[in-house]
Amino acid sequence: MSTVPIIESVPASSRWPWLAEFLAGERRAWIFVGKSLLAIYIAAWLAMWLQLEQPSTTMITVSIVMHPHSGMVLAKSFYRVIGTLAGSLFGLALMSLFPQQRELFFLSLSLWVALCAGGATLYRNFMSYGFVLAGYTAAIVTLPAMNNPLGVFDSAVMRVSEVLLGILVAAVVSDLVWPERLRLLLRQNAQAQFNMFIDFVRDSTAGNLPRAQMEHANLALARAAVRLEDMRASVIFEDPEVHARSTRMRLLNQRYMAAATSFQSLHHLINRLQRSGSPAVADALIALYRPLGDALSPGLAQQHQSAVLATRLDQCVAQLPAQVAALRALLTAPLAQLEFDTGAALLLRFVAELRDFAALEGSLREVQVRGSVEKVHFKRGNDIPGALVGVLRTFLTMVVLSAFWLASGWPFGASAMLLATIFSGLLAASPNPISAATHTLTGYTAGMLAAFLVVYWLLPGGSDFAVLIGASAGFMLIGPYLSTRDTLPGVGAGYTLGFVYILALKNPMVYDPAHFLNDGMAQVAGIALAGAAFILVPSVIGSSWQRTRQFRHLREQAVLAATAPLEGLAWRFESLVRDLFQQVVTYTRPGSDESRSMLAWALAVLESGRTMIELRQELAAGSHIAPAVRDAATAATHAVARLYHDPDTARWREADAAVHAAIATAADQPLRLHLYQLRSALRDDESPFAAYIPPPSPESAHAA
Amino acid sequence: MPHEVAIYGVLVPGLLPVFLGCLLLMVLLDMVVGRLGLYRQVWHPSLFRLALFVCLFGAAGLLLIR
Repeated sequence: MSTVPIIESVPASSRWPWLAEFLAGERRAWIFVGKSLLAIYIAAWLAMWLQLEQPSTTMITVSIVMHPHSGMVLAKSFYRVIGTLAGSLFGLALMSLFPQQRELFFLSLSLWVALCAGGATLYRNFMSYGFVLAGYTAAIVTLPAMNNPLGVFDSAVMRVSEVLLGILVAAVVSDLVWPERLRLLLRQNAQAQFNMFIDFVRDSTAGNLPRAQMEHANLALARAAVRLEDMRASVIFEDPEVHARSTRMRLLNQRYMAAATSFQSLHHLINRLQRSGSPAVADALIALYRPLGDALSPGLAQQHQSAVLATRLDQCVAQLPAQVAALRALLTAPLAQLEFDTGAALLLRFVAELRDFAALEGSLREVQVRGSVEKVHFKRGNDIPGALVGVLRTFLTMVVLSAFWLASGWPFGASAMLLATIFSGLLAASPNPISAATHTLTGYTAGMLAAFLVVYWLLPGGSDFAVLIGASAGFMLIGPYLSTRDTLPGVGAGYTLGFVYILALKNPMVYDPAHFLNDGMAQVAGIALAGAAFILVPSVIGSSWQRTRQFRHLREQAVLAATAPLEGLAWRFESLVRDLFQQVVTYTRPGSDESRSMLAWALAVLESGRTMIELRQELAAGSHIAPAVRDAATAATHAVARLYHDPDTARWREADAAVHAAIATAADQPLRLHLYQLRSALRDDESPFAAYIPPPSPESAHAA
Repeated sequence: MPHEVAIYGVLVPGLLPVFLGCLLLMVLLDMVVGRLGLYRQVWHPSLFRLALFVCLFGAAGLLLIR
């Protein structure tokens, strides 16, 4: 596989390349610091000018939402608006239900926050923010009004206005002032994905790919597909052009996955034929493959131009049937013809898919979008039991805190609960929550100390907004700067949040050291408890418990392919398998036995699942198919599904026999090719089924 | 349109529905312009979009609220 140049290299004229690199990195970091400070101060000024109650809520919102990439800020903001509105509505409803019953109120609030934190773990993009913020807003709306239930409506209106103002300012500033576009990164990634796939297909024209290389490539392809979908989901907020192409990009990703599956199935088939003593058929298929390699090699200058490739592939599709007929005439044995037909059908499907993929990629590069395309979705594999563990943990944290608050009459219980609410949600989605909590707590404490200096040493005596900026900016910029360093994840965010929160800007400013210290201690206690809860109820993300379940879920996809309703099943199947696969592989050590067995299973599920879907689509489309054939084919898919559900030798035998019987029943119909492919996948001695295949007896081998 | 509208007994500024309507209009406009690729003709697309939104909202606010 040739390497793909992702970014055009900068001419090496600079004498100290590391210096240029360092300065470029610093420049990006300081632009982000400048934007964050600008947004925070504009937000504070506007909040004071509009006479909102707590300008600090607005500033906290800005500091939570800010991110170096504008698309991310807009995506976060969008979900945060939804979360805020949902949370404040729930807070109002809760307060009006239990104005006097504190126990019930706290129980329901804890449950709500816990459910939101659980929801946050289900999503791996900024939708999780929406959930975190829905919990947080319910708390900030109701807790300050605890002793004055009648004031809850005003409190809700104030908090929502403050939060929305913060979001608006953050979005406008990050979109207008030196915007760092994610769009460019998306384009580069999409281009790299396309080039990688085309190069891979071209370079494997020889037809013989070692299984390990195929597994490796498939892993890279799955990663690329998931990453592209993640980026697309953020960039649509940043760029109306990408938004207008969103449906197309989804379809492109799906076509890419479909073509990758066909390609992999074809190669496995050829490899099996070579191993199992039909090299003549394998050679015929490789000969058939050659025109595809030629179509993909239009010369160096054009080899990644999708429009050129699409035209050439179209010609290839038109010429293939004639070549199929010519090559088929050379084979005489019925079994060899069946093997060849199966491979040829797969190759035709692959070339057609590749052509559609290239044509769609070409249409994405045009300035104008013409017509409309099929709507598809990238289905994610969510882990419900894992999320329930998160719900349980957060619920316990919140119940313990509120019980302590109620029992002790702690005047600053509200602060502790608020902070615990935010961090239970944010940490729940983190793969390593305890170290994240430690980092955040360090940053938070440092931020509070800095704020103490600012409030009691620099600020007193100041009379206007300029003095406020002068007094606080020097300490404020540490936070955003730290958050651009990858070596200290969470410290920068914690610092900014702690600084802004305890600064508690008000108009006019209130100076009360005792309140400051009490509030600070309560907040630290809240974060520490949210972090400590992860020791009691450990995080499941990346644990072997979750991996085992996701692995089973992955195998279940083959069962779904055999039984679920066909509507949109192909898309759902392809994306879900990739998403699950990518999630599990992220937490396995590359090259370990576990990782290799995962890869092997993922390939098997993809190949068999896709074949079963094609088979079922054919069954659904052809009304002329005899009932006996239909029943036999359905029985075969169900037997294979049972095998995937719970693999063992007996089920493997049943599945093999059922598929065999179906092939015998479906004498000369196109169905037969899918069934033969299914059988060949079952009998693959390099697949995970190798462990279940009984040693071949003379009469059953090659009896198809 | 009045200065304040009552939604389930809650008085909200009349500008709020106008603002939401303008947001919706802006999304529709973005879709059309994005499909046609016209934002490539302007120097700073986000600034242009913000300005366009301010024009829309300002005009609608001035014309609709009496």
